Amino acid sequence: MRLNLFILTACLQAGILMPGSALALGDASKIAIPQIQYEGGNYQPRPHAVGSLLAQIAKRTSIEVNRKPLSLKPGDPRLYRYPFIYMGGRETFQPFSEKALKALRNHLTYGGFLLIDDNSSKPNSAFDASVRRLIRRLFPHIPLQRLPRDHSIFRSFYLINQVVGRVVNKPYLEGITTKGRTVLVYSANDLGGAWSKSKLGHWEYDIIGGGNRQRRLSLRLGVNIVLYALTLDYKKDMVHLPIILERLRRVNPR
Amino acid sequence: MNWLAAQFGEGWSEYNAWELHWTSDVWGGTFAFLGVLIVLSLWFLWTSLARIRSPWKKTGLYALRAMTLLAVVAAILQPQLEFKKIQPLKNTLAVLLDDSKSMTIKTYPSEKSRSEGVRRALENNREYFERLKQTYEVDFFFASDKIEPVSMANAAAEYRAQAVNTNLHQVFLDVAQHYEGRSLQGILLFSDGADLTQEASGISPEFTETLTRLNGPVHTFQAGSNEGFKDLAIDKVDATDFGFIHQPLNISVSLSARSIGKKNIPLVLKEGDKILVSKIVSLKDDHLRYTADLQFTPTSLGKRIYTLSVPVFAGEAVEVNNRWSFEVKVIRDRVRVLHLNGRPSWDSRFLREVLANNPKVDLLSFFILRELADDVGASTSELSLIPFPSNLLISDYLNSFDLVIFHNFKFSPYIDKKNLANIKQYVEQGGAFLMIGGDLSFQSGGYDRTPVEDILPMRIGSGSREFLLGELQMGVQPKLAHHPVLRLENDPAQNAKAWKSLPPIQGANIGLTPVKGSHVLATIRKHKTDVPVLVTRRVKKGRTMAIATDSSWNWNFRRVGEGGSGRYYQKFWGNVIAWMTGEPETYPIQVETDKEKYREHEKVIIHFKVSRQDYNPVPGVEVDLVVKSLPQERERVRQTLTTDERGEGRFEFAPGREGFYSAQVSLTSGGEVLSGETRFIVFSPQVEFQKPLVNEALLKAVSKVTGGRYHFLEAGMKIENLPFPNPEVEIKSSSRMVSLWDSWWTYGLIVGFLTVEWWLRRKSGLS
Repeated sequence: MRLNLFILTACLQAGILMPGSALALGDASKIAIPQIQYEGGNYQPRPHAVGSLLAQIAKRTSIEVNRKPLSLKPGDPRLYRYPFIYMGGRETFQPFSEKALKALRNHLTYGGFLLIDDNSSKPNSAFDASVRRLIRRLFPHIPLQRLPRDHSIFRSFYLINQVVGRVVNKPYLEGITTKGRTVLVYSANDLGGAWSKSKLGHWEYDIIGGGNRQRRLSLRLGVNIVLYALTLDYKKDMVHLPIILERLRRVNPR
Repeated sequence: MNWLAAQFGEGWSEYNAWELHWTSDVWGGTFAFLGVLIVLSLWFLWTSLARIRSPWKKTGLYALRAMTLLAVVAAILQPQLEFKKIQPLKNTLAVLLDDSKSMTIKTYPSEKSRSEGVRRALENNREYFERLKQTYEVDFFFASDKIEPVSMANAAAEYRAQAVNTNLHQVFLDVAQHYEGRSLQGILLFSDGADLTQEASGISPEFTETLTRLNGPVHTFQAGSNEGFKDLAIDKVDATDFGFIHQPLNISVSLSARSIGKKNIPLVLKEGDKILVSKIVSLKDDHLRYTADLQFTPTSLGKRIYTLSVPVFAGEAVEVNNRWSFEVKVIRDRVRVLHLNGRPSWDSRFLREVLANNPKVDLLSFFILRELADDVGASTSELSLIPFPSNLLISDYLNSFDLVIFHNFKFSPYIDKKNLANIKQYVEQGGAFLMIGGDLSFQSGGYDRTPVEDILPMRIGSGSREFLLGELQMGVQPKLAHHPVLRLENDPAQNAKAWKSLPPIQGANIGLTPVKGSHVLATIRKHKTDVPVLVTRRVKKGRTMAIATDSSWNWNFRRVGEGGSGRYYQKFWGNVIAWMTGEPETYPIQVETDKEKYREHEKVIIHFKVSRQDYNPVPGVEVDLVVKSLPQERERVRQTLTTDERGEGRFEFAPGREGFYSAQVSLTSGGEVLSGETRFIVFSPQVEFQKPLVNEALLKAVSKVTGGRYHFLEAGMKIENLPFPNPEVEIKSSSRMVSLWDSWWTYGLIVGFLTVEWWLRRKSGLS
């Protein structure tokens, strides 16, 4: 049975059962995540992080992904073809220009989503300071706040009650929420480090502290963040609540 | 008198009276000053005449000076003589005939209405009124909450008890105003006294005060009696003007029962002939008023007319108040949308946001987050995923949705193929189904040769190619630019511009052929071929639509990046929802009236706009207009009318009687009948029957306050010996003023008196 399923899956992935040129309506319909190419510092300290996450998403969910690496400057008009964008780093970076800030603010306000990941593995890093300066300029009237435990991000696919990464600098995520939608999430725990796999399929960075379980949780959190961006508060619809609450009660009786 | 008038010339003989007038312009202080001056002058004169011995001469001089002063005073007071023609006048009497609806109530055992009693009294006493006319002017009025003059000759013939309100106090105020400055010496009031503004026990102080200001007596004639009065009535219905479809609606009913006895009566609510709900109301002997609460659930949209009724018992005074019809505009509370997504995508994410943020939409969405082949790496208890309740939704609850969307959704393995027939049946019975493209839709979703294909606007082909990739600019079909789905802007030129401004789509499903009767609203041009992208279709009572792409989200997010906004995207989806759920504004034939409620005898203007299924206006075509009275659906008017160059038309209708009406416009084209309908109310308030009893105390009080007499209007009663004062009244029909001071006579007399006085004084040796 398992073999049959494997063959079926393999056939589907190869497009054998589907006549036509592609499974999805071209790459444009697949989920791609570009990285923000900012000035100053290394904008891509975990070059395989996004591709690895997308591979995990393709493996675990029904989402069709496009893993082709892509980097865009903050003011690049092509940003509007990619509602989900990733920004990683471990050093200080140059402040964004006003034009780039405006473009990014518009992107996030009108439907986009930005995941910022501190890959430095250090608490209160130089990158962290730069990120906070950037967010203050990006949304001067909205504070960066901890995401509550009942946020849809923690139940968009997996039920998550622990926030980790390659390290656990801050056991929580922070975010900017406007008009009921979280448009920016900031992780200080080097999620990208936990996700990254080499081309040969090996984990590129060791987990500090929690071992495989921590990596597993990091991957689940990455999947959930992407699912949240794609489905918003879908898991807060009344139809889901009774089952989710019952499962959460079993996992954490308190 | 004629002699005096003759002194002023010819033509004065017509006057038969005169009157002297003095000026009113001189200030009172002037009079006082003149008085003092005259007295001082005369005293001074008297002292200056002391040397004159002759009393005759002394008196003569004194008289001359006094005459001079009098002439001066006369000139200052400006006397005028008015010649008048005076004629004697008849005094007036007013006859008030209560023509309110309560006068239609029958009196037992005669079973004659109160108004019938009044009409007979008028006919039986014609001679009396003729005799009265010899002495008085007799004016007749219909009276309710206003007075309406009518000639004595026509009073009986034109008398109809149809006024909707009785307010006798207002009637007497109107009478007082009408006769202001005239001699009204009495009133005859024929009424049942069923005044909505007065208590049954008597008369209000304000009304009493108004009556006391009248000159003559008010003789009252009571029409009808309360003997054997029996009535069961629906007095009031409290219901909202609008309700929500499939949502319970509460109404509160007030009833009254007089002399009905101890009975259990059914209170029935119907729509047309269909009973919606009924309730038993237990009547008691010693109880007058009752209330009952009913609840029902509207099942159809639009203006619905419901009728409440209680049985009519033998011998009831009023039958019309045993029924009460009311209108409720049934609207959608919220459009219930079932949104099934084959997988999370940006297209489904942006559509979900639009649907979830639309206050008119009640959204239930499902995303297939995981397929059988996916390895989630966790136990079920660690996932937030729930089983897709496919059979429950597609079998049991499908009809509770107004719109079902399959968004890049492959039905297998989630929905049994046999259950797809439910979707076809749901649409045929009035539901709406939308399929949005992608790699899991149409052919890829396995919908070919299924019941879903039967209802789709496009036939699924069996070609090898299923998708067209790349950036594709979509264009709307100019011939269908009036379609509500395409209306991003009201102005056609602006609308075309708006569609051109949208970013291209990225990929489309191909190999789809529009079925006959569908409307291809938008296409992409590829290899010299138009590929349909937006296609609509009506399937029996329902509507379907196909959007052969999964990238309409570009019209939102990508357009923002190009400097625009997501407004057109939101408008487009609003249009799609409105059209698919059959909102009234999307009907091809629009019918409306200038108002929703009309008073009796008011003219109704019906305006209509006729379009075909493709929403293009149809000029110069004949349409049938039928006006029916509801709920009996009795045809009142049938007309064939021709639309103008804009496909519009107009009709004026005089319904006359109160009731509910529908106006339906239909167009028969190619064997297909399109129609549009509106409903309106012609109302005549029934408040008169809230106080149906004869108010004898009020009529007695009115006559007592004014010194009149109260009478019970019996059959064949002869009116005699009613006392009315008849003082002499005169009227000045013409007059002429003659000035007595500004003439040579006046000044001649003054000069003459002074000259004679001077001469006598000289003769007497005075200076």
